[in-house]
Amino acid sequence: MKTLKTKLAIALMAAGLSFSAAAADITVAYDADPVSLDPHEQLSGGTLQMSHMLFDPLVRFTKDFDFEGRIAEKWERVNDTTFRFHLRKGVKFHSGNQLTADDVVWTFNRLQSSVDFKNVFSPYEKMTKVDDYTVEIVSSEPYPLVLQTATYIFPMDKKFYTGKTDGKDKSEIVKHGSSYASTHVSGTGPFTVASREQGVKVVFERFNDYWDKKSPGNVDKLTLVPIKEDATRVAALLSGDVDMIHPVAPNDQKRVKNAKNVDLVTVSGTRIITFQMNQNSNPALKDVRVRQAIVHAINNDAIVKKIMKGFGTTAGQQGPAGYSGYDADLVPRYDLKKAKQLMKDAGYEKGFKLSMMAPNNRYVNDAKIAQATASMLSKIGIKVDLKTMPKAQYWPEFDLCAADMMMIGWHSDTEDSANFSEFLTMTRDEETGRGAYNCGQYSNAEVDKLVNSANAETDTAKRGVMLQRVENILYEEAAFVPLHWQDLAWGAKSNLQIDPIVNALNFPYFGDLVVK
Amino acid sequence: MFTFLIKRLFQALVVMFVISLVAFSIQDNLGDPLRELVGQSVSEDERQALRDELGLNDPYMTKYSRFLVNALQGDLGTSYFFKRPAAEVIFDKLQATLELVFGAAVIIVFVSIPLGVYSAIHPKSAITKLIMAVSSIGISVPVFLTAIMLMYIFSIELNWLPSYGRGETVNVMGWETGFLTMDGFLHLILPSISLASIMLPLFIRLVRSEMLEALSSEYVKFAKAKGLSLNKIYYVHALKNTMLPVITVGGVQIGTMIAYTILTETVFQWPGTGFLFLEAINRVDTPLITAYVIFVGLIFVVTNTIVDLLYGFVNPTVNITGKG
Amino acid sequence: MSLLEVKNLRIEYPSRHGVHAAVKSLSFSIERGEIVGVVGESGAGKSTVGNAIIDLLSPPGVIASGEVFLEGQKISGLTPQEMRSVRGSKIGFIFQDPMTSLNPLFTIEQQMTETILANLNVSKKEAVSRSLSLMEQVGIPEPELRIKQYPHQFSGGMRQRVVIAIALSCEPDLIIADEPTTALDVSIQDQILTLIRDLCIKKNVGCMLVTHDMGVVSNVTDKIAVMYRGDLVEFGPTKQVLSDPDHDYTRSLISAVPRSDIKLDRFPLVSYIEEAVEMKQIDIKNHWLGQSEDQREFTGPLLSVDDVSLRFVTKDSFFESKREYVQASNKVSFEINEGETFGLVGESGSGKSTIARIIAGLYAPNEGKITFEGIDLTALKSEKERRPIRRQMQMVFQNPYTSMNPRMKVYDIISEPIRFHKLASSETEIRQIVHDLLDHVGLGRMAGVKYPHEFSGGQRQRISIARALATRPRLLICDEPTSALDVSVQAQILNLLKDLQDELNLTMLFISHDLPVIRQISDRVGVMQKGKLLEVAPTEELFTNPQHEYSKHLVSLMPEFKGLRDKLAS
Repeated sequence: MKTLKTKLAIALMAAGLSFSAAAADITVAYDADPVSLDPHEQLSGGTLQMSHMLFDPLVRFTKDFDFEGRIAEKWERVNDTTFRFHLRKGVKFHSGNQLTADDVVWTFNRLQSSVDFKNVFSPYEKMTKVDDYTVEIVSSEPYPLVLQTATYIFPMDKKFYTGKTDGKDKSEIVKHGSSYASTHVSGTGPFTVASREQGVKVVFERFNDYWDKKSPGNVDKLTLVPIKEDATRVAALLSGDVDMIHPVAPNDQKRVKNAKNVDLVTVSGTRIITFQMNQNSNPALKDVRVRQAIVHAINNDAIVKKIMKGFGTTAGQQGPAGYSGYDADLVPRYDLKKAKQLMKDAGYEKGFKLSMMAPNNRYVNDAKIAQATASMLSKIGIKVDLKTMPKAQYWPEFDLCAADMMMIGWHSDTEDSANFSEFLTMTRDEETGRGAYNCGQYSNAEVDKLVNSANAETDTAKRGVMLQRVENILYEEAAFVPLHWQDLAWGAKSNLQIDPIVNALNFPYFGDLVVK
Repeated sequence: MFTFLIKRLFQALVVMFVISLVAFSIQDNLGDPLRELVGQSVSEDERQALRDELGLNDPYMTKYSRFLVNALQGDLGTSYFFKRPAAEVIFDKLQATLELVFGAAVIIVFVSIPLGVYSAIHPKSAITKLIMAVSSIGISVPVFLTAIMLMYIFSIELNWLPSYGRGETVNVMGWETGFLTMDGFLHLILPSISLASIMLPLFIRLVRSEMLEALSSEYVKFAKAKGLSLNKIYYVHALKNTMLPVITVGGVQIGTMIAYTILTETVFQWPGTGFLFLEAINRVDTPLITAYVIFVGLIFVVTNTIVDLLYGFVNPTVNITGKG
Repeated sequence: MSLLEVKNLRIEYPSRHGVHAAVKSLSFSIERGEIVGVVGESGAGKSTVGNAIIDLLSPPGVIASGEVFLEGQKISGLTPQEMRSVRGSKIGFIFQDPMTSLNPLFTIEQQMTETILANLNVSKKEAVSRSLSLMEQVGIPEPELRIKQYPHQFSGGMRQRVVIAIALSCEPDLIIADEPTTALDVSIQDQILTLIRDLCIKKNVGCMLVTHDMGVVSNVTDKIAVMYRGDLVEFGPTKQVLSDPDHDYTRSLISAVPRSDIKLDRFPLVSYIEEAVEMKQIDIKNHWLGQSEDQREFTGPLLSVDDVSLRFVTKDSFFESKREYVQASNKVSFEINEGETFGLVGESGSGKSTIARIIAGLYAPNEGKITFEGIDLTALKSEKERRPIRRQMQMVFQNPYTSMNPRMKVYDIISEPIRFHKLASSETEIRQIVHDLLDHVGLGRMAGVKYPHEFSGGQRQRISIARALATRPRLLICDEPTSALDVSVQAQILNLLKDLQDELNLTMLFISHDLPVIRQISDRVGVMQKGKLLEVAPTEELFTNPQHEYSKHLVSLMPEFKGLRDKLAS
């Protein structure tokens, strides 16, 4: 018996299967792969996921939305408009260059010139180098979200990206067409790119000179493959072809949970799914009682349970728990009786007609949610003319605010609830770009004022009160229909300890992943 | 031969022109490419600037003539997503698709001919009834379902075959092939079977009906009267005549299978042109979509021409030179 | 001991509706060197006998009882393996249509040698040399060259020679020839029959010659077996049977063969088979059929064809100079007078059908013009102008089945042209006309509710005549209208056409390869060869004193049937 075990162990060793904590080689399947290796080309989940592997930010979020220093070791607010970061010493880029304040400033300037990122950095005037390992960031007005925006600063290797190649500037950001930065990379991150075949796979290899020696991560080689089809992705995990997958569609979660040697990890997400009620296109929606009736008619619980299979957190406000401004009292208020009464009070006892549009391939179960919502509204006499369509066709319709009710999901780029209001519920303003996605045409001067002051309030506590007030006004006025926050789910083999590295932001910190 | 080719070339040009017109016209209805190119917080002004830069705001005729002039020089536009010339992207992915189609074609040939011939020779046997029943069910099962079922059985339950992708490939004279590695070969099996499943019932029926027709012909009766063995009559006389229409229909079908790979490739995450096309639609990568439609049109035209040539080659009674 | 001995052979076709006996109880024998003709009309079971002997009955046919002996050995009821050794090596088979009995995808060499190799124990090389010598024996020139070719490169007659060569290749004792010359032209027919006869005598083999053609039988056979509806009604030496038939059916059949020697007013009918259907008389003067509004004061020829030429491209080329053509019609000129029947004879490929199609407007000629009642048809530009002329010219084809929509009922087939040309004022009138037409062509009005496939060949030809009449035409173009029919039916159809012509003063262009038929029906005859009209003469003049060499040749090939007729007549 003993000899058999020994033989087995030898055989396993020979097959390259090792039980020690060192040197793991894993394959991860996502639904898409990064568009470009340039972290500043497109502000998207894919780009940020990649950035956390190839680069390190100044600071990063912890699981409960706290900040953890990475390239920045320490930080402090100098005054209302100035914030200082002390950089870590001995950080090496993949090229071998040492990271200094010059790289950070260079990166900041590049971010400000990026079409996608400039909006995030618009509150800032500049970043200055204090010494080789200290930088200061200066905003034009007092700005409270410096640390949040610092999570977007992934210092790039200035020397590596400076100069010319084929007559083109290496640092150039090209949205359409190729650039040096879109195919070459030198960051400080735990991984380097060994090979990349767009749409097929990216192979990452551990960076030997990675500065974070304390990181428990033991993944030597990580192959990221895009698998578009939900069913295929799950099959790949269950058959052992890949070690980890994301996302796991609600319908597949039970299977993944029940499978042997495979774990399902879910995290409550931050992307809010809502319906906007257009007060301009349908006069009935101008009446606050009608909007309240709609909010009361919709059973968020049922949608999350039946359609999302529990894969979501019912929402009564914009920002999720953990965001400043979150108010635990603002919960969904399904009450059909009250909804009918409100309709009666508003003079719409017999109901009315409205049009509704939703995409069918953008959010999890988007079309089904819209259908359920339509049937719920029919119970209070609202006849819904629903159209669902692929996202490619949906967005042009959304730009026109083409229906009385339109579905939109939003993830706050700053992980802060003010961002929701800025884009979704503030009064539309072409010049400032406020309310750019406000197809409800909701407009409330108090909300506008509160959000603007909150964005200039550096006192976190005070700011939280203001944003809470905003959420309360929106709740009372039924400015929009909050449905739920989409949860995030990962499936992984049990020997992958993914629980500590995944988070609501959906940037798993693969550098810290431990594989047993 | 010369006349034939000239005529064919002319026809092909007309067809390609019409296809390009159609392919280009649908562009505007596919959605806004900008939506996939930029993040959510980018302002409308920035978007407009980018649209101008990409030439999306030009009038239709300007866009089309620019496209046509470029296309005639071999430039079908640059993919937004891949940031490389669309034609180049398609040709890169074509290798994977061709290998998949080849795999499926091999399965089709080696399954449909024996089954079709058997069921024609033994029309009343129980096996024939089974073949026909299964193939009529086969016609109505969507390829998506076939693929998922195969994957469930062979990847998850039995764990014999890989579930996605192409596996390991080897570069042979610029061609990335999966045929030469065990891993690549194993990856090819399930996708090939599911792609073949689309056409298999059709081919079995085609072979069967052509074989039945050949068997009822006078020359088969005469061959019997000549005292030839049944095997020779079935597999030499009847089969060769069966293969003629099978080559014509089959050739075209197998050629067009390149266009049918979309679903199979998507399910198996096969990095070929069909998957590429679906992704391009999702990403509103219009230059790539247009290039793909033109490319598929080209495949149809080319396969039809090749099949005509081949038919003339196999059938001595067709004289391409004479009948054009 | 006879070479072939058939005893009490009964062949049945079981079906859901009961058992049909195609051959009831047949006994006959064939000696070496002897040719036995098996004659009869369609459905008599003559081909079935041939197929049954080598066990090639098409399913579900089976030999229900009886025995077949070849040289004293029983060959009925053998296993498929045993039967295979009889086929080819002991019995050679020749099928009707040489166009379809050779596999189009194999060379002649392949098809000949495979037969030899399958049946004789010889080397490949020997098989080839044997094939070459066989080809020479059947009269194929340049066998070394021709043997490498494919069937489509051979003419019909040459193909039948190849088939005969294959049938003889393994030195069989018996040859069964199933209508071996029916699909061939008259001049070729004669050559093939002579070839078969000579080879049978030379190689001392027996031959069973299945045919419907009395002329063929009288020329080459030693004995005749006459079959009628599955029964052998008469069996004896050819001369005796033809000159002094015992059975009424035989007598009737012989009389129905169109006479090649003198012109008769009407064709004798085979009274034995079925009561000749006579047309129902109608008062033409007062009937719709007689009330054509077309003016009949024109005095010139109704139709004149002037220097009409048409060529088809046989080899296309991008360059004009490299194209090759076949001259299907070469400066053809003739006239047809009102009420006349103009016969056109010629072998296949002579261009006679092309002329018919040009006149009917199906082809446009390259040169020349067609004048109908003084109107130049080739000058008419629009379909609208052509329509009234087209209505006055109707065609009757050889194979009426392919020219009818199988999904239309006969009533609709006939009423369609009436509706199209708006020749009747009401639906009631149309119904009356269609019923009268059906009665008139001898089908009966009840035929209207059936579909074309429910009718026999002769009946279908009646339908197509009724359809042609439905436009009240003045010119009827008949393209081989009876070639696909049995003699008895042929006689009926020809009589019908004659009667209609007399009654309605129809003008007819009658095209046929069958000289006796042409002689019986035409007033004047034109002889065509390779697109050229060689000679036009009044019928009797042409047959008694042909001018052109080719005409003389054709007339000389007419099967002689004279002697027996005189006897029958007396």
